[in-house]
This record gives sequence, C-alpha cells and structure tokens, in this order.
Amino acid sequence: MKEKLDGIKRDAIAMIESAETTAQLNDVRVKYLGKSGAISLVMRDMANVPKEDRPAMGKLVNELRTAVEGALNEKTELLAEREEELKLKAEAIDVTLPVDGKRTGTLHPLTLIRRELIDIFAGMGFSVDEGPEIESDLFNFQLLNIPKDHPSRDMQDTFYINDNIVLRTQTSAMQARIMTTQKPPIRVVVPGKVYRSDDDTSHSPIFNQFEGLAIDKHITMGDLQGCLQTFAQKIFSKDTKVRLRPSYFPFTEPSVEVDVTCSMCHGKGCRVCKGTGWVEILGAGIVNPAVLEMCGIDSGKYSGFAFGFGIDRIAMIKYGIPNIKLLYENDMRFLKQFN
Amino acid sequence: MLAPISWLKDYVNIDVTPETLAKKLVGIGFEVEDIVYQNKKAQNVVVGKIVEVQKHPHADRLRVTKIDIGESVLQVVTNVPVEGGETIAVALDGAVLADGTVIKKGELRGVLSEGMLCGLEEVGITVDDVEGQKAGDILRFAEGTALGTPALDALGYNDVVLDIAVTANRPDCNSIYKLAKEVAVALDTDCKEPEIHFETAGGSIDDIVSVEVKNSELCPRYMAGGVKNVKIFPSSQKIKSRLRAVGIRPINNIVDITNYVLMEIGQPMHSFDSRELEGGRIVVRNAMDGETIVSLDGKNNRLDSSMLVICDSKKPVAIAGIMGGLDSGIKEDTACVVFESAKFARDNIRRTSRTLGLRSDSSARFEKGIDFASQEYALKRALTLIYGSGSGEIVDGIIDVKVDFAKEREIEFTTAQIRNILGCAVPKDKLISILDKLGIAVREKGGALVATVREDREDIVGVNDLAEEFIRVYGYRHIKPTLFKYASLTSAAVPDKLKVIDLIKDTLCACGLHESVTYSFVSPEFANRLKLEDGDIARNTIRLLNPIGEALSVMRTMLTHSMLETLAYNATHFNKAASLFEVARVYLPKSLPIDELPVEEDRFMIGAYGDSVDFFSVKAAVEEVFAALHVTAKYERSTRPYLHSGRSAEVLVNGRSVGYIGEIHPKTAKEYGVDNLRIYLAEISIDGIFCAENLEKPKFKAFSKFPTIERDLAVVVREEVLAGDIIEAIKGAKIKYLTDVKVFDTYRSAQIGEGKKSVAISFSFSSLDRTLTDDEIAEQTAKILSVLKRKTGAYIRNV
Repeated sequence: MKEKLDGIKRDAIAMIESAETTAQLNDVRVKYLGKSGAISLVMRDMANVPKEDRPAMGKLVNELRTAVEGALNEKTELLAEREEELKLKAEAIDVTLPVDGKRTGTLHPLTLIRRELIDIFAGMGFSVDEGPEIESDLFNFQLLNIPKDHPSRDMQDTFYINDNIVLRTQTSAMQARIMTTQKPPIRVVVPGKVYRSDDDTSHSPIFNQFEGLAIDKHITMGDLQGCLQTFAQKIFSKDTKVRLRPSYFPFTEPSVEVDVTCSMCHGKGCRVCKGTGWVEILGAGIVNPAVLEMCGIDSGKYSGFAFGFGIDRIAMIKYGIPNIKLLYENDMRFLKQFN
Repeated sequence: MLAPISWLKDYVNIDVTPETLAKKLVGIGFEVEDIVYQNKKAQNVVVGKIVEVQKHPHADRLRVTKIDIGESVLQVVTNVPVEGGETIAVALDGAVLADGTVIKKGELRGVLSEGMLCGLEEVGITVDDVEGQKAGDILRFAEGTALGTPALDALGYNDVVLDIAVTANRPDCNSIYKLAKEVAVALDTDCKEPEIHFETAGGSIDDIVSVEVKNSELCPRYMAGGVKNVKIFPSSQKIKSRLRAVGIRPINNIVDITNYVLMEIGQPMHSFDSRELEGGRIVVRNAMDGETIVSLDGKNNRLDSSMLVICDSKKPVAIAGIMGGLDSGIKEDTACVVFESAKFARDNIRRTSRTLGLRSDSSARFEKGIDFASQEYALKRALTLIYGSGSGEIVDGIIDVKVDFAKEREIEFTTAQIRNILGCAVPKDKLISILDKLGIAVREKGGALVATVREDREDIVGVNDLAEEFIRVYGYRHIKPTLFKYASLTSAAVPDKLKVIDLIKDTLCACGLHESVTYSFVSPEFANRLKLEDGDIARNTIRLLNPIGEALSVMRTMLTHSMLETLAYNATHFNKAASLFEVARVYLPKSLPIDELPVEEDRFMIGAYGDSVDFFSVKAAVEEVFAALHVTAKYERSTRPYLHSGRSAEVLVNGRSVGYIGEIHPKTAKEYGVDNLRIYLAEISIDGIFCAENLEKPKFKAFSKFPTIERDLAVVVREEVLAGDIIEAIKGAKIKYLTDVKVFDTYRSAQIGEGKKSVAISFSFSSLDRTLTDDEIAEQTAKILSVLKRKTGAYIRNV
C-alpha cells in the first residue's frame, strides 16, 4: 500500500512539475484530487483497510494529499505569475514616444516680468494701480510741470488725438491722477502701455512702462536709491550694483538716470552694455515740489520720489531678446519659449 | 550739441583725453553721446609726392607712379591722369577708408601697386568740410606739405568733436562758452571769458536805424549795433573749420560771425543790409493776418496775427527769431550792416515755427529759451569779431529796447533742507564752494543761507534745484541706499480688476493658449475687412492726428482684427498650428469727435487654428474662464458678419451679449489671406462679466452619502431645438432631487423623420438624507418629459 501511495506521489509531483499551463495543472488536480481522482479513490478504499492499520494509513494518505495539494498550489502561483508577466510583456509600449497632446500655454514675457515686478514692489509696500491710456494733456503733461509749448515736450514724440487729448507718453501721467485723488502716505506702482511716435529698428511705437511713486514725510534720495537697488538685485541678481547719474525730468528735481551693472557680463563689459559694464535702465528723481503743489499736496510737509522704466527693456535684458519687435510679432515659435 | 574740443580749449584748459572728459561730463549731468575723431574717418592715408610717372606696360589707361611719403617711396598704379610733381593723398597698405574698405597691396595687370590715390569721398568728407579741394578729384596739397602727414591732419580736419546731449533745463548750455564753464567745473579748473574788445570809428547807430518794439511781451529785448564800410570776404580758416565741425556751412565773414556767435554764446543774431530797411526803421510787431514774406530759403510764408515779425517802415523783413527775408540779407556789395541781437518769447517762436513748418538754428535756440544776459554779450562779441577781422567800421552806440528784468534772484535755504532731500551728510563748506564754482554766490543770513542765482540759470528756482546743483558736482556716490528709513509702513494692495485679469490669463494659459500682445492702433480698413455693417458701433473709432501711417491710425474698438492678423502672420511663418489669447483694451468713444476721455474696456480674445482645435475647444476655454470667475453664460446663434453663420454663438451674461465664440466666415478667411484655414475665435468683454462674485471664495455645499441614481432619456425634437434649450427648460422646472443633467448624444435617421433629431440626455438624482426609490425617480422623469413637451415639443421616440 505504501508503495502504491509513494507511486501516486511520485507520478503526481512529476506531472505537476512538467505542467506548462494552468490548464494542464487543472487536469492534474482533477486526475488526483477530483471526485474520481487517484487520491480520492485511495481515500474511498480506506474502508477495506484493516481497522488497526487505518490510523497509520489515514496519516499516510493525508500526507500524500497535503504534499500534492501544496505542490499544485505552488505551481499554480508560479504559472499565474509567469502568465501575467507574459501578458504585460505583450502590452509593452515605447515609453520614449513623444507626448502629442495639449500642453499648458505660456504667458507673454511682458506679463511675466510685469508680475515679477509687482511682487518685488509689493514686498516694499507698493500697491498697484492702472490708468487710462488715452489721457488728457493735463495729466500727461501740465500737472507734471510740462506746460504747453514747453521745450521739454520735445523729449517725447507724442501721438495727439486733439489739442487736449493724447495717447499717454508715460505712465507718469498716473502720478498726477494719484496725487490729486489720494492722501499721503502714497506708495504705488503703475504698469501699463505707453505710446510714442517712434518706429524704427530699436523702437516700438507702443511699449510698456512701470512707474513708481512714493510720497510721505521724510523721503530722501537715499530711499530712492535703496528702493531701486532692492529692485535691481531682485530682478537681475544679488550682486547687481546701482549707479545714479544727474539728469533732467520736468517732474522730478533732482533727477537721475539710473544704471545697473550689466547682468550679462557682471560689469566686465560686453556687447549688451557696449563694453561699459553698465546698462541704463531707468529715470527717477525726487518729486518736484512744484508738481506736489499743483496736485494739492503740501510740499513743505511732504516729499517723495518717482521712477519709471520700460518693462520691455527689462524683459529684453533678462531673456536676452535681441529686438523689441519680437515682443509684438507674436510668432508661436517665440511665445512658446517663455514657460 | 556738437562741441569741438579745440573750441572749448579757447576758454578752459583741458589736459585729459576726450574719453576722460566725456566721463567727467556725464558725471555732472551732460551725457556725451559720441566722440568723433575727425581724422579717424580714414586711417593710414598720408600725404605723398609723385616723383615719377610711367605708362603701364599692359594697360593704356593706367599709370605706374612712384610716390615719396617721406620715409619711403612706394609704387602705386593709378588710373588718375597724374603727370608727376603733384602732392597728393595716398592710402597705404592696410589703410581703412571712410566706407570701411581696406586697401591691400597687390598687382594691377601684372604690376605691383602698394597703395591707392584718394579723393574727398575716400577719406569721408565733402567739399564743404575743407578748403580748396574739388569734388570728384583726388586730394591735392600745396607744394611743401610735409610728406607722410596723415591726409586729414594736413587738411586741418583733425578736431575731436563731442556730441553732448543737453537736457531741456539747461538751454544755456547749447553754447560752447557755457559748456566750457561746465567743463571747468567737471575738471575743477577755471574758465576764461570770450574776449570783448573793439573800437568804434565814429558815426551813430541812430543815423542808420531806429528800433520800435510794439509787442514787448513777445520781444522783451531788442538790441541793434551798426557796422559801416563793410568788406565782404571769406572768413578765416579757424572760423570756417569750427563752423563746419558743428555742421554749419561757412558763407561770408558777416554771416559767419553771426553763426559763430550763435554757437559760442548761444544767442541767435541776425544781420540786415541797412539799404533794405526802408525808412531806416526796425519795427517789431505782430504780423497782420494774411501778410506774406518770402524767407531766406525761398519759401513764401503766409502769416497770421499770432506771429511776430521784424519790419521796416513798410513791410516785414524777417520772421522774428526764425528766418530773415530773402531780400534783406547780406549781399556781395553790402556796405552797411545792422546786427540784431534780441530775445523773443520761447513759446511763441515754437508755435510760429510749427505753424509755418520753418525751422532754423536760430528758432531751435529760441524754442529752448535764451536768457536776458546773452543779447548784449553776443552783440559785443560779434562786434569784437568784426573789429578783429577788419570786416568793417563799428559805429558809435548800441540800441537797447528792453523791459525791466531781474538780473538775479535769491533763494533762502538751509543745509538741513538739502540733507533732507538727498539723505546724505551735506558739509556746509563743500556746499558753498560747489555752488560758488557754479556761479551761485552763497552768503549766510542768521542760521540760514541765501543763494544768489543769476538770470541765465532760469532752471534754479528752489531748494531742490540747489540740492541737484550740489550733488551733481559733489557726486551721487555720497548717497547711501536706505529703505524708507523715516517713512511710514504701507501695505500693498491690488485692485480687483487686475486680480480678475490675472486669473483670466492663468486660466487661458492652463487651457494651452499662448499669450500675445498686439498694437492698440489699427488700420481703419479693419471694419471693411470684417464687413461690419454701416451702423456697427465698432466703426466709431478714435483717430490719431499724427499717426505713424494709415495702417496704425485708429484706436481699436475690437480685438478680433488684431488676432486675425496675428494668426495670419503665424500661418505664413511656418506655424502649422497656433492657439493664442490676448487680454487688452478697446477704446470706445462716448461721442465723436471726442471731447472727453473714452471708455477703455478690457477684453479677452482667443484665436486658434490647427488640427486639434474646433469650436468646442475654444468654447471650453471660455467656459473655464467663466467657471473660474463664477459667471454663468448662455449661448445663442450669432449673426456677426465675419463669422460662420452655423458655427458661431453670442455669449450672453445676465441677458446681455458680452461677446462671441465662433469659426470665421470663409470670406473673412479669404480677406486675411488664410482661406485654407479654419480659424476659431472668441472675444469677450471682461468689463461685461466683471462683478463682485468674480473673486468670491467658494462656500462648502453638503453632498449626499446615499447612492446617486442615474437615468437616461432619448427624446425627439425638431432640428431647431438646441441642446441649450432642452437643458434650460429642465433646469427652469425645478425638478426635485435632480443634481445634474447632460446632453450626451444626438442622432438623426430616416425613421425619426426629416427635420427631427433624437437627443439623449442623462440625469443624476440624489437626496441628502436617504436612498431614492424607483417610484420617486419615475415621478420626476415624468415631470421632466412633460416640461420638455411643453417647452420644446419633445416626445419619447416610439420604437
């Protein structure tokens, strides 16, 4: 009997080992463990075994059953795994294929710089405001100490709509609007489009300016320099230096041109800074007391500074854009670069 | 302002290089835009003497010359018919000509040539720049000119000229002398005054001319001096080359002197031939309306009463401060000259010059402003030059008709005030010495200081001006950066409108669109290209008086045209697809022509073409924006003429159109040269959807823990019934438990019937407190069907 059981075990294990598929394995299960399988038959034959041998025999049969079942389960798991692996292999894709779907769009470099600037100045307590692009002569010029027929009007080529209405030539126009409607302390930046009738390879008749105005008690040229240095170091790099040069604007006195160390060569001299190591980026100054008075602010009590620069120019320097016209051509191959 | 350094050196000792000088001038507020070395226009072109000429062995028209350039003798082949013995200019091997050509030695038809003979053009100058040379000829020098000398130096064309940008607040510095004073400040040295020295020869100015000023507001000062027995001859080489260096063509001694003084002192002068002053009178008055004068340039000018003219007893002889009359100028036989040195009102000259379209060096100065001190100085300087050059005999007396004016003014201030403006320490002695150097005397008065400012510094009116004068010389490097050291704290705020615009930009960007920026002005033709109807308000555009060109002459009233141009540009520039947006303003006049500022309305514009876009991808982007801003919109068929009539929608918010979404009409595509493309657009007014809810933060709404029950229905409706109508009808019926409704399919077939379609709709129902029963749902679907039947004529399809 024992030999018979050993024979069954040997045969069963051999069949399990040679099975290649779960189907073959099922056949083995039926052949040995099925209702009329070999092991089931042995169990049924147990009745013919002498009573005193039954416990020992029962044990042997159980051991056989456990061994065959164990081998079957083990092999089933193995085959299932192998088959799943094959299935995954069949489903393989080329992961290096490029994605051909929609991607996120891009913001225009002028918007990117504008946002960066607003953030920088917000950190110094500056609010944001906007104003009309079609502006009265009063705000664009007269309240900024630029009377009609004054030579300083030659500094800008103005687009006129009629004698009293112009396309604003400078965001400074908002200075007068703000000062005539708000009380100090005032700290505001004004981004926006401005217009000058200047159209050649290096000028666009439309460009974007960024104006700053701070009015309070005790504001000095040192504060202007500190504010601009903070701005320059944040927008360009930490080691950027700022230099003030005397200049003239009708609405500031003293007036300065502000140079920063060239962000391309860090002041060593290159093509961008024409070898000087410095790049002129903005005009600024202490608000002319005459302007404060015209706008109804007591110049004996309050002082302030103002500055203005071209967002386009900052964008061109920061992104290395060689020509201002690229900003307004809107070629997809240009726009897509700024993400 | 062009300033030859040799001329500046008449008044100030300059012992630094032009580059250093330029740097120092920039430091005190005078930007030097260019440094022109006259003799560097051409390099390695020297004076040589032709010592031998032979025929070229292989070419009849060429000659082989030997040229002595001092240290050596060169062989040069030339086609210039030289005979030998001439002193000429030769470009050596390696010479760089004015146009950038580099001369190399080489063989010409088999004979070595080591250089090239040069004319005016090759060294970059014209007959007007130098003496005694002819156009079209080679340069020729006098016998004995040192051989080997650079040719331009030998021509006396070797000054260094600074091009200085003089700011509008310093009109006085549009003169060599005043610039020299600034140079002296920059170099910390002294400045000499131009020499004034002449003797009169008898006779009286009163015998030659009388002056009457009828409008002293427009002519606050008029001075006149006389010169008799005038001799007309060419000016000295020095005067001529200086005038040329600053861009003025020499004429004759008298005219040149007025121009020389104009440049030197900054005061425009005029010289009259006294024969042409009828009645021996000069009358300064307003022109009569319609009066005419032919100006020196031959132009016939029609004047009006706002303009100031210089007249004799009968007629205008000059347009004051702008240009003399053709007849009253200096001629070859002029024997007696009256010099005018006057001050005319700045703004009036500017207006007259603009109105007449007449400009001159003189008007340019007057427009910038001339101070009171200059008239007398300039007249005396002109007479000095007459005297020194022997150009005539100066008569006794000078006429001076003037209004009262203050020669100087006082400004009281303290060093503390200056310090408060600049934010740096202001040493009192330094302050006083710097101002003194600038010609501003300072004295102490009690605890304060008093500055005395001369009349010629019109720009200095208050403490801030004094602070600037001080710091520009003291140096901005003394100011150390502070950050609102003594000012109050402020908190930054951003207006809601800007937040909304940022949100829109971010949303459109997330939808895969790229932001574009276009010009605010367009061609007025846009309205015709878009076939706008005659009464369309978008045709009411604001026109610029002085546009760059017709194509950029009106302020846009819609963004569509700009977007179409941008898309067309991309289509013709190798971009197979483009998906763009722009957020910008349109300019809507309240009335035309405008007499008040227009409405500037913010809009967003979407434009796209390419394989992956259609009407619904654009609509999806618009809806994303609406969702972000909590805006609910409805859509109706649009009848805009530039859109595809079957594929365009008006977008309605609160019952009002705020814009459109649509494919463009094939005719529009053709108009913009993109007839092969289907272009999809949307233009939506941001102002039209801008409201307080845009930026509202969402509030939590409870959702059901019980299962959502879904039901689908297919109903048949007439073709004209739109999905939007069906959904609106259902939403309007306040169906209980309904949480969502969607149209998910539309189906047409012969069985359904002509002009009809089957629309499949899915519904979701749920309740917050229990699972809904089939009966409850059935009751609601029945209600839906009855609403649909009533509102849209829908019925369940009989199978």
